Amino acid sequence: MASMFGSSSVAGSRSTARRLCATVVGLTAVVVLGTVSVVTTARPHFYPDDPLWIDNDAVADASSVKAVEDANSYDFVVNTFATPGERRDLRAMNVNTLDEVPNSAWFVNRIGRDAMSIDDVVRGPDRIESISLDGWKVSGGKATGVQPGFRMTDREGHTYQIEFDPPANPELATGAEIIGTAFYHAFGYHTVDVYLAELDPSGLVISDKATYRDRLIGGRKRPFTRSDVDKVLRRAARRADGKYRVLVSRFADGKPLGNFRYYGTRPDDPNDIVPHEHRRELRAARVFGAWLNHDDSRGVNSLDMLVGEQDRRYIKHYMFDFGSIMGSGTVYAQRHRPGNEYILEWKPGWLTLATLGMYARPWTRISYPEVPRAVGRFEADAFEPTSWKPEYPNPAFENMRPEDAFWAARIISRFDDATVRAVVEKARYSDPRATEYMTATLLRRRDKVLRAWLTPINPLVDFSLSASGELTFANAAEQAGVATPPRGYRLQWARFDNLTGIATDAGGETAVGEPRAQAPAALTLPRANADFIQVRVAAIHPDFPSWATPVTVYFRRAGSGWELVGLTR
Amino acid sequence: MKLNRLVPLCLLAMLPFGTVAIAQETREEAQKQQREEKQQTVTPNEPNLLERALKAVETGGIPLITRDGVYAKLGSITTGSGFAYGAGYRSRRLFGSDAALDVWGGASLKGYWAAEARVRFPNLGGGRFLAEGYGRRSEYPQEDYFGLGPDSLRSAQADFQLRAQTIGARAAMRVAPVVSIGGGLEYYEPRVSDGTDKALASIGEQYDEASAPGLSAQPNYLRTIAFVEIDSRQPLNARKGGWYRAELSHYDDRDLSAYSFTRLDVDLRQYVSFLSERRVLMGRVAASTSETASRQQMPFYLMPTLGGNDSLRGYRDYRFRGPHALLLQAEYRFEIWSGLDAALFYDAGKVAMRRADLDLDDLESDYGVGFRFNTDNGIVLRVDAAFGSRDGKHVWIVFGGRF
Repeated sequence: MASMFGSSSVAGSRSTARRLCATVVGLTAVVVLGTVSVVTTARPHFYPDDPLWIDNDAVADASSVKAVEDANSYDFVVNTFATPGERRDLRAMNVNTLDEVPNSAWFVNRIGRDAMSIDDVVRGPDRIESISLDGWKVSGGKATGVQPGFRMTDREGHTYQIEFDPPANPELATGAEIIGTAFYHAFGYHTVDVYLAELDPSGLVISDKATYRDRLIGGRKRPFTRSDVDKVLRRAARRADGKYRVLVSRFADGKPLGNFRYYGTRPDDPNDIVPHEHRRELRAARVFGAWLNHDDSRGVNSLDMLVGEQDRRYIKHYMFDFGSIMGSGTVYAQRHRPGNEYILEWKPGWLTLATLGMYARPWTRISYPEVPRAVGRFEADAFEPTSWKPEYPNPAFENMRPEDAFWAARIISRFDDATVRAVVEKARYSDPRATEYMTATLLRRRDKVLRAWLTPINPLVDFSLSASGELTFANAAEQAGVATPPRGYRLQWARFDNLTGIATDAGGETAVGEPRAQAPAALTLPRANADFIQVRVAAIHPDFPSWATPVTVYFRRAGSGWELVGLTR
Repeated sequence: MKLNRLVPLCLLAMLPFGTVAIAQETREEAQKQQREEKQQTVTPNEPNLLERALKAVETGGIPLITRDGVYAKLGSITTGSGFAYGAGYRSRRLFGSDAALDVWGGASLKGYWAAEARVRFPNLGGGRFLAEGYGRRSEYPQEDYFGLGPDSLRSAQADFQLRAQTIGARAAMRVAPVVSIGGGLEYYEPRVSDGTDKALASIGEQYDEASAPGLSAQPNYLRTIAFVEIDSRQPLNARKGGWYRAELSHYDDRDLSAYSFTRLDVDLRQYVSFLSERRVLMGRVAASTSETASRQQMPFYLMPTLGGNDSLRGYRDYRFRGPHALLLQAEYRFEIWSGLDAALFYDAGKVAMRRADLDLDDLESDYGVGFRFNTDNGIVLRVDAAFGSRDGKHVWIVFGGRF
């Protein structure tokens, strides 16, 4: 080839040169395109838009999805006797390069990423300050769930669900729902707005069009009458003044599609591309569930709603039904087993049978203090966060890894004592002892949760690299008050090749006593020509040997400074 | 231009394309592409067979038994009837209110049948009063009879047929949250004849009026009832609390003036739980006694009995019969899993021909083990195996009820 090019050059004609140039361009194009193709296939380690904080799962039109509501029994059977979904020790698949969850139709970063005022946390999803039922009409019955209630429509035509407390435990379920909704909203989940209100049965107006799907007549619709209202009220806690404290839940916007599952993806939803058991926010819901004893956190207590504009619809995923959290069993004080053992767990059952009941499950020995009936059965002494269980196995919970739990625990760490108290006060317990006990118990459980899940892995967070090359970071466990400062830190700096993913050591391991260190000049100076820096940071703590496993952090040059672009724990 | 300059220039010209090609690819685009690819392959979210089946059971299967309108009647008609099936019509919104109408008819595999109509007003006066009226017709063709008194023999078993019609009404008032008092009036028309079990002697072949009072003729009765009940069970399928009931009935013979009597039944059950209510001790004392005026007799078919799935479980249904009876039961129940309890039990009791003999001497007894599939409101299925009686082993499979 070289000789051919040489003889052509000797000829020196323009046309030959053009042809040659065209040939070269063509060959080069093939080579370059081939290179581009290789790059595209291999994918850079970090994309230009990393870290991604918005997962646009409303991008494809999901108008064709059909509503499917799981049967309670199916959810129990499939999760108890089978292992649906993929049980694999796999990093959560929807986290961004900072190991965080981007905003999506499933989750919105709230207290976990941005500071929320106490008022914001307490307000939760509520769109208005308070609700009065004056002028509302009963517009139908409530066909699902065990909690007594019915539907009412306000003057503007918005429909709400009205639910009551059980007579033996006034304020129990309504309080749980109010508190649970505020917490889950602040965590970042989509929830419906709920309010406490007062219902005066003497002024109740029933719409002529009020209907009810009566299961007793095969789910057919029939008129919802005064007699039906009375039947509901007989199952409800009535106050001394003859009125009722009720929970008012606004129906979520959009078209209901049934519930989501904690495994797999919806085959008819084009936006649903991450198996639910590998979604960080669903895996880590186990941590939130443990804190609040949300033993009922299962598929059938979720809600999918079709929202959006014409030809541009998507599914918004809600968590709902918090009436059975903390000490509430919705229509009674929570039983002893929930939170401690699955409904069906073979080993303790066989042990009990074989010993004719001599074997006592540990949770049967938990003693609950005498507390106001609004609290139900809720305690913190015997609570072991890592042993906590929902009603039956949850595929996403089963897949939870330490970094998933750490992520959730860090969110919980943002709830200071005053915030927790303010959320409990939103439940407006008539007995101040209920507020006191509930607050104290939640705080003690919170501290146990933080100890359990902030400390098992290296808890270094908030990494920052200044333009001058100073690295600073913090310790989430220390910040939360569940660990003392480490004795020191070991750092390993490297130049990082974003295309190949290869890290080239730069300067060997260094040790520092404080959570700050200087990056090697060979990496940070402009002439160093390093676009990405990788630093691995281990913490040395005698009580937590696992912290010696380093956190790997990546910075990308951004103008004259450095931008945190990646983190793996 | 020299070729050795031209090549690098051409390459240089191409580089921006490559660079641009990389820069335009973003994480967001990559994810969008995945979603667009899935959009090409979306499939309907179709429930599988198991899902459809369980959904059908939830929405259709259970209401088939509990629903309003036409419903299926499954279970038993009376003790010893065997499995029964039938159909009924029920409305819990009679007159547009809480009044309930229930009409049903059913037959068992052993040839028992019954039909009943009942109207209930369970929430009169804001729930303080209950009233009901009912009519019932039944035919039990294989009722067991072993003779009267504590010394009756299993080998003396015969059977009889009991046909009856009843019409009556009851009312109760809740005087305190757990205390109810009430009364009722019934017109009862019993008729006794030979049983249909070919394996057994018929009652007429083996017994007479002396050994089976009331066998020769059966009057119609007007029965008046008064009762008091204290029910503090929690929950209804109790783990703690008590259920105490005393019922006094006077049976007035309206035809023969020979079989009038008064009968008192007392049933006291106490439930004590421990280990978070996952262990329950149940104690029960039930006694029945009767009084007859001179030249009056208590007919055998209205005497209290012992034996069967809810009294002396080591003995057959109605194994002991007499004008007076005493039953003592103790159970230790332990939860294996939610909804399944096991139990160890001991039963003792006796019948007596004289009230003075209603003591703790010479009690018949048995012991055993059982399993209960249950809910808070009652037992779905109970299996009890009883041993230790002089009549051998017995296994009971019982659907429904509370115990």
